[in-house]
Amino acid sequence: MGRLSGEKLYEIFARQKREDRFEHVGTVQAPGPELARVYAWQTYDEAKWFEMIVASRDAFHAVNRDESPFTLHPTEIS
Amino acid sequence: MTPQNPDTWKTASDVPEAIREPLGRLLLSLADNKRLLGMRYSEWILGAPTLEAGIACSAMAQDEWGHGRILYAMLKDFGYDPGALEHEREAAEYLNSELLDSPPNDWPTMLALNALLDTALTVQCEALTESRFAPLHYKVRKLLDEERFHFEHARGWTARLAETDAGRTALADAFTVGAGPVLRWFGSAGGDIGSVLATEGVVDGDPDALRKRWFDRVRPLLDQVGASVPPSADLGWSDWDDGRRRTGAGGPDSDTLARVRGDKNRAMLMD
Repeated sequence: MGRLSGEKLYEIFARQKREDRFEHVGTVQAPGPELARVYAWQTYDEAKWFEMIVASRDAFHAVNRDESPFTLHPTEIS
Repeated sequence: MTPQNPDTWKTASDVPEAIREPLGRLLLSLADNKRLLGMRYSEWILGAPTLEAGIACSAMAQDEWGHGRILYAMLKDFGYDPGALEHEREAAEYLNSELLDSPPNDWPTMLALNALLDTALTVQCEALTESRFAPLHYKVRKLLDEERFHFEHARGWTARLAETDAGRTALADAFTVGAGPVLRWFGSAGGDIGSVLATEGVVDGDPDALRKRWFDRVRPLLDQVGASVPPSADLGWSDWDDGRRRTGAGGPDSDTLARVRGDKNRAMLMD
């Protein structure tokens, strides 16, 4: 069950209470944001989230370091 | 808040005799379909095209099994023994859709259950949120909240498969096979059960109204892959059993029955 062609990585952020800051809770692979939302909600169900959001990994741009988990190219992730 | 209808039934014993039986059968049909649908989802946890899709199947299986358990438990007040319902019945006593009798042998057929049958169960549950049988209100809302991503899963995968000719054709075939049984599942237009439940305010629409709600929801998916749906006049009612909401005398196949009843663990069942 590897990555299917045309799939992208999506980063997931969530918070348990309105006053909380978002925390990064994980990553899913999906062909688009529609399935990324479904996978995120069904996979990272360890808490009763007040709010969850997903963003495509390629939306993240490194600021002070060349390499960070969010800015590594998907092929560089084992 | 739901306005309290003075004629609302607060317990099963408030429900008039003539309605208790068809209402019980509706709940049993929902329970059996959810239990078996959950089993079908669970069979794809390890075989889905991606790890994420497998996890989604796991989550949907848990949802359906939980809902089945809640519905079976409710049936105690309708004169059923929930333990016997879950562990003691023969195949012909199950009220499940023909589509769940045996496992889907490919992912598009699995997706047809997800897109068409799961959505039909949800449409039927939505029609109970303001039911005259008040104990359903809270339970159905909780259940519908958990169902919200099931249709989105089906929609996302329909779009995914529609990207290739092979995927589109395979899904169109699976949708075409599944559409007829699901359309029938809502009940025959002149059938007693669906009509009585609608007339008495248990369900907020008769079988034809529910069929239309379902079709409005799944039509974009059917159209996306070019699946054809039988016209309502041509659904094939000749062998229809209104009480079981299916055609034919069949039921879950022997392997399905053994697993859904938990036959292997029968020795561990208590009371």
